[in-house]
Order: sequence, then structure tokens, then C-alpha cells
Amino acid sequence: MTVTAGIDVGTGAIKAVLFEVESGETRWIARRTERVRQRDPFKLAEQAYDGVLEEAGLKRGDVAYVATTGDGEALSFHTGHFYSMTTHGRGAIYLDPEARAALDVGALHGRAIRLDARGKVLAYKMTSQCASGSGQFLENIARYLGIAHDEIGALSKQADNPEKVSGICAVLAETDVINMVSRGISTPNILKGIHSSMADRLAKLIKTIGSIDGRVLMTGGLALDEGLVAAMQEAMAKEKVTYAVRCHPDSIYAGAIGAALWGAFRHEKLAQLDELAKAS
Amino acid sequence: MTMTSTATADIVARCQSLFDDLNFAYAREWKAATPGRKVIGYLPFYVPRELIHAAGALPLGVLGGGDQLEVIHGDAYYQSYICRIPRSTVELGVTGRLDFVDGMLFPSICDVIRNLSGMWKIMFPKVKSRYFDVPQNYRDEVGGTFYINELGELRQMLAEISGREVGDDAIRASIALYNENRRLVREVYAFRAKQPWKAPSAEVYLVMRAGMILAVEEHNRLLRDYLAAAAAEDRPRRDNSRVVITGAFCEQPPLSLIKSIELAGCYIVDDDFMLVNRWEHSDVPVEGDPIQNLALAYLHNSGDTSAKYEPDQKKKGLYLVEAVKRSGAEGVIFAAPSFCDPALLERPMLQEVLAAHGIPYIAFKYAENSGQMQPIREQAGTFADSIKLWSEQ
Repeated sequence: MTVTAGIDVGTGAIKAVLFEVESGETRWIARRTERVRQRDPFKLAEQAYDGVLEEAGLKRGDVAYVATTGDGEALSFHTGHFYSMTTHGRGAIYLDPEARAALDVGALHGRAIRLDARGKVLAYKMTSQCASGSGQFLENIARYLGIAHDEIGALSKQADNPEKVSGICAVLAETDVINMVSRGISTPNILKGIHSSMADRLAKLIKTIGSIDGRVLMTGGLALDEGLVAAMQEAMAKEKVTYAVRCHPDSIYAGAIGAALWGAFRHEKLAQLDELAKAS
Repeated sequence: MTMTSTATADIVARCQSLFDDLNFAYAREWKAATPGRKVIGYLPFYVPRELIHAAGALPLGVLGGGDQLEVIHGDAYYQSYICRIPRSTVELGVTGRLDFVDGMLFPSICDVIRNLSGMWKIMFPKVKSRYFDVPQNYRDEVGGTFYINELGELRQMLAEISGREVGDDAIRASIALYNENRRLVREVYAFRAKQPWKAPSAEVYLVMRAGMILAVEEHNRLLRDYLAAAAAEDRPRRDNSRVVITGAFCEQPPLSLIKSIELAGCYIVDDDFMLVNRWEHSDVPVEGDPIQNLALAYLHNSGDTSAKYEPDQKKKGLYLVEAVKRSGAEGVIFAAPSFCDPALLERPMLQEVLAAHGIPYIAFKYAENSGQMQPIREQAGTFADSIKLWSEQ
């Protein structure tokens, strides 16, 4: 039995998971999320890692491969690092074997990733503007509006007449929101406007990665935002994109899951290469 | 003696301070230490430093201004579609940072550097400057004869600058010292290829870069110390892909780019950053006619790069395949300066050779003052992932 860890150091949250792998069977044995909230992400990552070890009753020495993703390459205790496209793709296939694309919407970026059944990245496209598809922006707006992060989705779904918000730049969008507040626009209509603006951009992003032979799974922190997921369905219909867009209760862990599973794959491959080297 | 991490850190810190110093204090102090000492600057990719040393002068590698020099005057001398190294070299010159240099050598690498040699003569008439040509025919009786003549003219120029004859025995002694230098450089490269986690590429780069300014005797000591210190270091081994960097033989990438590639999951196990340090593959004979020995070493026992003419099309690019095999690399990163004619014009042909041998590669461009590393990290990182997860090995 091999134990591998996946640590996804994101801008908004650190996600850590542990997997047991034996004879090709995988078992997810521990998970932890730490929201960054202006704290040192690397200390938090270490905390999250120690947290999952404690939950599983293991020590660091029991872990065969510590795989990082996101901004985790600078963590001193990692064995290998994988890029976000690679890990979110693998994580998406783990969470939904029918998925053939991942839409990773995190605090800083939006990424559309086309996949094959093995989780291999066939094409990807990411947003390039500073605040585009940005969870950080949404979090800022929620703070200005005085609502909790967890309330955003439910409130957005109550909208009856959503406002249009700039989809190009967070600075312009923030100005839009200030104007809306002063005009007395309701919080649900403001939030839905932001969700729709983000969803429009993300739907266009999905169109650029080519034909997808299956479902799209939303991953990253914003996949848990039911308001954004609902806006995505609408935006896909508006863009005449027929792929089903789904999310999973564990979508936030997709990067960490992918890292841990690729870590297990590499651990086995390196052992095989060592055997080959010894034999030759 | 047991080396500690402090030993490595101290060596690297010294190299870093030499690298950061755009006023070349070490070379200035070296020159001032003994009356009559001279300093000869040279640009990439190769000059016979043995002759400079034999003339009692300090060879000083001038590799542009890096990412810490603001180019103000230099931009006025070149069109916008020319690379950055000549601009920052002009900037170094017109701001007086090279005012202690007695001679400048501009090797045959591209038209831009050739033109810079002429500009230098006009801009700094008191500095003896020379366009240093190298053979493009590798037959002894053709290219050899030409190059022996070229070396003879350089010998004469150096004698005029130093005010003393550059004798055969002095050249032989210098060849012996540089043979030792190249042996140690090869040893560092071999050590890194074997245990890349013990010799991070940014460290190796700085150690090699120190060879552009330090006296060869001092650089030899530094290389020995680094090898001992790095071997004694206990550093964690990462599951990184092993790559060869090629195309960076003239204008140098910023140090942060080298660090970014490694941080993105690639161990650099071979590179062409400063080819002059290991141009000859093995020792240049010390016995016999030293000029002839240097010439024959260039013709038959020297490195390959896009800037060196390869007359046999069947052999083109095979040096890269060899570098991959020798270093146990899994892929190649073409990293070339923007507007670098030698690197960029050759690149498609080299990529074709790698593809024919099933060696994966990626390519990007940089400038010595590139600041945005995120795209490089993304490219290098996804390349490392594709090797680790999808290669047939």
C-alpha cells in the first residue's frame, strides 16, 4: 500500500488530501481546507499537511510522495510538483469519470481544460486579465456588500432583475457595483449580475478549447458557488454550447486530488525505473 | 575536511556579488594591483583566452548589462528589432563602466556583434578593438591556415597592448591553466548531470559566470571548492524532469528565468550559457607549437552551437542529441534571446533533428531584462508534467 499526498496552494485557499493506493485501487483517506485570509500560504500548507496526517493517523515518513500544485512548488517538503492544468484535469476525471473537460475557477484565474479519459490535457485556455473569472473579486464585492462568502450563491439565485456588470475589468466592475448600491439595486440582483458576467466569459473560454466529448466539470473554489453554477448553465445556453456543466461537492479538492493521484503514478513509475536501472 | 552548507552559500554569495557588480570592481582592483597590468574584454561566444592570459592580461567576459542596468543611451544606437546585448554593452561603455578596459574582442557570432566592433572603434578610439574571426572551413590546410594567421594577428595585438612579447612558453603555460579550468568546468557539469538536486542550476550558472571575470587561477580554486562543497551538501531530491537548455549562448537570460525553470519542475542537466568555459572538449596539447595547437583544437576538438558553421548537413544538430544522451536528459528547452539570428534561424532545423530522434522540446524567447516569469513557468512546468506523465520511457 502506498500513501500519497496532494497539496494545492491556491490564492484563496490551501487544499490538502491523502490517498491510499493499492493494486490500482485508490482510497481517499483525509482532506483539509485552510482559507488563506492574508496569512502565510506556505505555513498554512504545512498546517494543512500535518492536519491530514493527523486525521489519518500517519506520520510524514509514511507518505511515499508529496505532490504539490498551484503555487506549491516552493514548499520545502514536496517530492514533485505538477501544474494546475495537469492536476485539475486528473482530479476532474476522478470526481466525474464521464467528464472530458474541467473548468477550473479559482480565486485568481479561470481555466478551461479539455481532457481524454486518462486525464491527459489535450488543450487548455486560461483567462489573462487580472480579475477575469476571479473568485477574489467576488469575495471583495461580498465584503463591500456586507455579506458572508457562503451566502453569495443562495442570494444570487434569488435575483429577479439582475444588473449588467463589466466583464472586462474588476476596477470598472467595482465602480458598477458602487453605482448599483447607490441606486438601491438589491444585493441578489447585483450578485447575479456579477455571476452572469463571469459565466459569460467562462462559457466563451470553453468554446475556445475545441469539441468536448463529454461533460464539463467545474473545479476550484468557485465550483461550490451555486449562483455561479446556475449562471454558467444560462451562459452556456446563450452561447449555444450543448455540453452539460456539472459540479461536485468535492470540486474544490480537484487540484489536490489530481496531484496526489499523479504522485502515486510517479512513485510507481520511479520504482519501475529504479528496478530497470538495477537490472541493467 | 567536511564542507557545510555555509561553504556553498559563501561561494555562491561571492559569485553573486561578482555577477551583480556592473562596475567590475574585481577587474579594476586586479589591474590596479600591479602597474602595467591590462584588461581585455570579450563578447560571447568564444575567444582564445589563453593568448590574453599569456600576454599578462585579464580576460573579462562582457555579457551585457543584465536586468539591473537601465539602458538609456544604448537604445539610440540600434533599431528596435535588434537584440538587447549590444545596447546594454554600449550602455556599459558610454557610462564609463568599462573605462579601465584596454582592449575589446568581438567574436564572429553575428552581424550585430560584428558591427559593434566597428562602432567600438569609433566610440572608443583609445581602446584597441578587434573583430575576432573564426574558421568556417575545418580542413587544416584551409581553415587551419586562416585561423593560425588570425591567432597570430591577435597575438600581435595583445603584445602591443601589454607592451611585451607573447612568447610560446607563456602560451603553453596558459594553455595548461585553461586545460585545468575546462577539466573542472566539465567536472561541475558532470556532477550536476548526475546529481542535479545537489547543484542547482542558478548556482552552477553563477559559478560559471564568475569565470568570466576572475583570473583563471582563482576560478580554478573556486571550482574545486564548489565541487567539494556541493558534494557535501544534503539537499532533497525532487521528482523533476531533466532538460537541456539551448540557444542561450550569447545574450544571457536573467537569473530569475533559470531559477523559474528549475522551480517549475525541470532540472537543467546541460546548457550552453557560457560556451567559452568549455569550448574545447578535452585538453589542448601543451607540447609543440601552441598557436597550431589552439587552431587544431578549434577545428577538431571544440563545441558546437548555432553560431558555429556546420558544413555537413547530416551532422547538423546531432550535438544536441549527444548532449541529451550524455546528460541523461528527457527533453530540450530552446531558450533564445529575442531577435537572436543565430539561435532563432537555426532553431527549426534543430527541432527537426530532435523530432526525428523522438526527443520532446519546447521553445520560448527572452531578453536579458525579461521580468515576467509566469509564462515561462507555465511552459516549463507543463513541459515537465508532459515528460513525467506521458513519455514512453
